[in-house]
Amino acid sequence: MAKQQGKTQDNTTRWIVIAMVALVVVTGVVFSMMSQNNKENASLAALDGTKLKPAITATIDPENGSAIVLNPGQAKVIDIWEDPQCPICKNFEDANGDYIESLVRENKATVRFHVLSFLGDESVRAANASFCAADEGQYLDYHHALYAVQSPLENSGFWSNQKLIDIATTIGIKSKKFSDCVSKGSKIALVKANYDSMQKFGVTGTPTVFIDGKLWQRKSADFNLAEFKAAVEAA
Amino acid sequence: MKKFNARFQPFITLLARLLLGGVLLVAGGLKITKPTESASAVAAYKILPANLAHVVGYALPWLEVIIALLLIVGFMVRPAAIAGGAIMLVFTAAIASVWARGLLIDCGCFGGGGEIDPSLAAQVHRTYFIEILRDLGLAVTALYLYLFPYGKLSFEKAATEEQ
Repeated sequence: MAKQQGKTQDNTTRWIVIAMVALVVVTGVVFSMMSQNNKENASLAALDGTKLKPAITATIDPENGSAIVLNPGQAKVIDIWEDPQCPICKNFEDANGDYIESLVRENKATVRFHVLSFLGDESVRAANASFCAADEGQYLDYHHALYAVQSPLENSGFWSNQKLIDIATTIGIKSKKFSDCVSKGSKIALVKANYDSMQKFGVTGTPTVFIDGKLWQRKSADFNLAEFKAAVEAA
Repeated sequence: MKKFNARFQPFITLLARLLLGGVLLVAGGLKITKPTESASAVAAYKILPANLAHVVGYALPWLEVIIALLLIVGFMVRPAAIAGGAIMLVFTAAIASVWARGLLIDCGCFGGGGEIDPSLAAQVHRTYFIEILRDLGLAVTALYLYLFPYGKLSFEKAATEEQ
């Protein structure tokens, strides 16, 4: 009798412990997911007060992997290969984005952006939206905005088409043409063409930068403006 | 050997509990404050679909810490050892699968994780090998605890009929 009671008690303890373990794990997961969501939504605040800059006409260059070409016809040509979700591309953008924009606006260089999408569905959607923004002449504005709000977690569900439209609306791209283009995935063929051209140009990762066709390799541990600027000016 | 085990088993069990529990506590503890990193690390194995991988990444540190605490205080040692051994086997299989598929990643075992530069391939392969040995070793430790869960400094004592 005593033995039997011991057994039942043992079983009860076991179930209580298992239930507690499950509870703690589930709470942990829910908590982590909520804090991730909050972080992502809070990141949109980074765009507050952003004003749309004057439009820059963008063309697509089928000869060069269907890249987005800004300010064509300059002697100096810079090719930038990026995936919107790539965290190191964000570092590159944070360090050099404004300088690259000044090269375009001050007619100092032709810049070709190759928008890649090998990091998953959200890269594909963001790349598609980037081409839509290029059609509006606002590629650089949208590009800055995407990196400004980039989630620390790839494919977290953050970059839905709706969120990609919201980001554009926040910075002032409000046309119906843009939002239709994003939600219909109108630029998927270009997204694919950019991705498919990686092999042809020997690009295996991002960010990859060519200055006048020559692969640029950074020497410092982090991206810094001085180093990149010197490399561009030396070319 | 049998005599040796009979004599020192309670101490070996204590040692095994502290070893497996200690490793899991450190591994889980380092990851628990960085759930995003942990979720990215699991996704980098490219075994589970992205959103499922993220959930596993969020849950894993908590699971590791709980199993570790149970082992260290010596409560429900046998079930905890089964769970601990099972996740070690899962880790071993995951690293082996990554190796076989030629992916170059940091296992993220103690935090961190993600893809690694191709220039470091040889180093990464050596790391995979060591990680597999380590996890198999810990799985054996867990097996010992499954067989001999009752030892020194333990919260629970063996029921008399089991001795």
